[in-house]
Amino acid sequence: MINNKADMDENSEKIINTGCCHDCGGRCVLKAHVKNGKITRIETDNEKEPQLRACSRGRAYRQRVYSEERLKYPLRRVGERGEGKFERISWEEALNHVASKILDIKKKYGNSAILFVPGGGNQGMLHGVTPVGLMLNQIGGYTRHWGIPSYEGALFASMATYGTMMTGNARDDLLNSNLIIMWGWNPANTVWDPGTSLWLAKAREKGIKIIAVDPIFTDSAAVLADDWIPIRPGTDTAMLIAMANVIITENLQDQLFIDKYTVGYDAYKDYVLGREDGQPKTPRWAEEITTVPEKTIIDLAREYATSKPAALIAGWGPARAAFGEQYSRAANVLCAITGNIGINGGYASGFMRAYSSRESVGSTGKKKEGPIKQNDKTLKPKKPRPQDNLVDFNAPPRKDALFKLRGGTNPASTRVHFNDYYNLILQGTKGGYPADIKMAYICGTNRLNQYGNVNKGVKALKSLEFIVTHEQFMNPTAKFADIILPANTFMERDDIAVPWLGSPYYIYLNKAIDSLYETKSDLEICRELSKKLGIKTSLLYLPEDQILRIFASPRKDIKNYNKMKEEGYCKVKVEEPFVAFKKHIDDPENTPFPTLSGKIEIYCEHIAEKNDPLMPAIPKYFSHDEHYDSPLAEKYPLQLITPHNKRRTHSSLHNIPWLEEIEPHSAWINPTDASIRKIKNGDLVDVYNDRGRVRIPAKVTKRISPGVVCVYQGAWYKPNKDSVDLGGCANVLTKDSYSPGGAFPLNSSLVEVELYQKEQLEENL
Amino acid sequence: MTQIGFYFDQTRCTGCFTCAVACKDWHDIPAGPINWIRVNSIEKGEFPKLFLTYLTIACNHCADPPCVKVCPTSAITKREKDGIVVVDSEKCIGKDDCGFKCLKVCPWDSPQFSNEVNSKMEKCDLCLDRLEKGQQTICVEACPMYALDVGTMEQLQEKYGDIVEAEGFLNNDKIKPSIIFKPKRTK
Repeated sequence: MINNKADMDENSEKIINTGCCHDCGGRCVLKAHVKNGKITRIETDNEKEPQLRACSRGRAYRQRVYSEERLKYPLRRVGERGEGKFERISWEEALNHVASKILDIKKKYGNSAILFVPGGGNQGMLHGVTPVGLMLNQIGGYTRHWGIPSYEGALFASMATYGTMMTGNARDDLLNSNLIIMWGWNPANTVWDPGTSLWLAKAREKGIKIIAVDPIFTDSAAVLADDWIPIRPGTDTAMLIAMANVIITENLQDQLFIDKYTVGYDAYKDYVLGREDGQPKTPRWAEEITTVPEKTIIDLAREYATSKPAALIAGWGPARAAFGEQYSRAANVLCAITGNIGINGGYASGFMRAYSSRESVGSTGKKKEGPIKQNDKTLKPKKPRPQDNLVDFNAPPRKDALFKLRGGTNPASTRVHFNDYYNLILQGTKGGYPADIKMAYICGTNRLNQYGNVNKGVKALKSLEFIVTHEQFMNPTAKFADIILPANTFMERDDIAVPWLGSPYYIYLNKAIDSLYETKSDLEICRELSKKLGIKTSLLYLPEDQILRIFASPRKDIKNYNKMKEEGYCKVKVEEPFVAFKKHIDDPENTPFPTLSGKIEIYCEHIAEKNDPLMPAIPKYFSHDEHYDSPLAEKYPLQLITPHNKRRTHSSLHNIPWLEEIEPHSAWINPTDASIRKIKNGDLVDVYNDRGRVRIPAKVTKRISPGVVCVYQGAWYKPNKDSVDLGGCANVLTKDSYSPGGAFPLNSSLVEVELYQKEQLEENL
Repeated sequence: MTQIGFYFDQTRCTGCFTCAVACKDWHDIPAGPINWIRVNSIEKGEFPKLFLTYLTIACNHCADPPCVKVCPTSAITKREKDGIVVVDSEKCIGKDDCGFKCLKVCPWDSPQFSNEVNSKMEKCDLCLDRLEKGQQTICVEACPMYALDVGTMEQLQEKYGDIVEAEGFLNNDKIKPSIIFKPKRTK
């Protein structure tokens, strides 16, 4: 047997323990076989259970590292922005250019003119955006974002309802459930912690019923669930509220739990029963909205309320929508009124993070409990520390932020919603934004591709004075940069990766090979740039290993750092499955919920203070301007959704041949919608609305609900001369706005689809 | 005679293709037509009563392999020791000269060819290099759902039973594929 250590075997081949760390729900072990300084093969965890087995994305990594498309040298733009014409320059030239532009813009316009555009393309503790943020803070800060596309709706709802994002149970606790509802959740493709699908399969094999609610018959619905309930996108909130109506009307709620642990039930009841607005939210009412039959809604409500403990797992997808926070809130509340919170086999729907050392100890090492007023000046040092961003250090909180609660995104009013960056750039202070942006520092993100309204993004990026990016590939965003600094991959550097959702383990990514070509790590780039920016002392100047140890030091569950480094992971032993809020339920006197009331807030007092009818204190269902019942639906009758598929991590890995052949990019459309448009499977179609047009093959499939079109997000934007995107980037069609609670409306666009070219014609050309 | 074969749990396979990518990486096979292990999907039913399952098939290392019989140059042989069917590419005369004789008699398209002119046959060899070191095949160790296993047929039958049918699988009693299933049933 080859052992796990980096020992030589008979062929002088080393096995380096590392891991996969893109922005997905995984975080898995990779073992790189290295011969003569080159990765020859990749294995995954083959040691003691539970193993952290990688999916196809990690297994294909060799093709990414050695891709011909890797950026090899620093580049300077010579053509128009977006044209993709660059010349090779030296690192010295590139860094001097970047440093002088940053200092020049800082001097002329102030630090707020510098826009930081970070992304989760690398999820290590050290590399990626971390050193860039530290460096920019040291020169006086920058304008930055609030809001994350993946989860902002779920985060807002978790903070509002429970006061924390630590809401998930460990996956092995699923075996304690009597019923599992996977709502808008497709872990078979999106992973959501290695082992999630396996635990669901084991639960099903144990006889636990699993139901999937989704507009698509996903792999999870088909393989992991017993039943599938198709639903019209964007109407999940209505169905959840109607389920509450059934539960309340039939007196199936857990009244003892409600009385003891929650506030605001009566206000919600008034809304649900129609006492507030005259419209009882009955299953009949919801059937018209959701397309889910009245009886199905009633059955599911009864089954959920009477199968305790039952796990309603509300995925982030339906919250990546207009008023997405309302869906997430409605799911949280349903868990509360049925008393499924804080018990084995139950589940507090929400942000889903389970075990994590991050929220349990602060930087001081002391455990924090209860609500903390973030705007309370006594909690802030009087003088900013080197890690503070001066641009927003003393800014008052945003009006729409839940700023009195710890654990949400930072509420400083100088921050701009991440999906509102293009208006910020194009309008600046004249448009009411807090800054006039002159340059963008982009790292770890294919920004243009991955946020709403690509065509507006093109205009915004073209308007800037200067753009620099750290990149590995010439992706659609890199084409707009003035200077591209070629970054290495995680196979070419050391790092530590923390699982996304906080399962109890860490992965140490040992450097497998030297950096290819002239690429450098993000740390090396920022170190050299910091010197050129005149930064005298910096954490970044310490040796890499020392910085990593500092970053890991608050994680008290890493008992033996050296062992973790050698083995490539640290699996923390947990005695029993983690159950969120167990202490809060078992001992409420001593463990209040970290909300303002100390209870689960069905009615959120903090939201009520905002006095915004579109951000109600109880969850409510709203239509919006690109909903199925909006006037625009006359012109664009199909609802577009843009979920994650099985072969990419957002836009990372899009260009990997082994992965591309798994599932060629296409627009999914139901046979009913296809036939009236004379579209056959494989035909080239245009999916379009007022924001743009993409041209990709159609996949005509019964697996998608009628009236819905699916373009999986992450494919690379590739406009032709008429600005038609031949790459099939979903965000050409999505909006660059945001919901009152911050949710990104990326699953809330109306479109039309038309035949562009018959498949057979294309073959004849 | 010992016969090594596959077990596939069709109820667990999510169609993630991890086995296929791990196989291509381990055996250094580029993206394209050569797939030693293939993941096929089977869809049935009408909206919203749908059925979808996957069928993962490599080479079934048949007890009585027809490909061995038809190969004009005896390039395909069945190992005495473990029943693994292997191909000697030195002896294979190539697809165009031969006319895909092995592929034509295989019910599961296990013989694989590149697009190159007169390319030679290649296929799953059950990771002989790994088996010889006492390791499991790369696909079995890759599967995040633990839906695959490889072992002697006796071991597999003892662990999993002896069902040789699955949705989308065309059984052939005559040639006796070395595979057993936990099939996914339509409701």
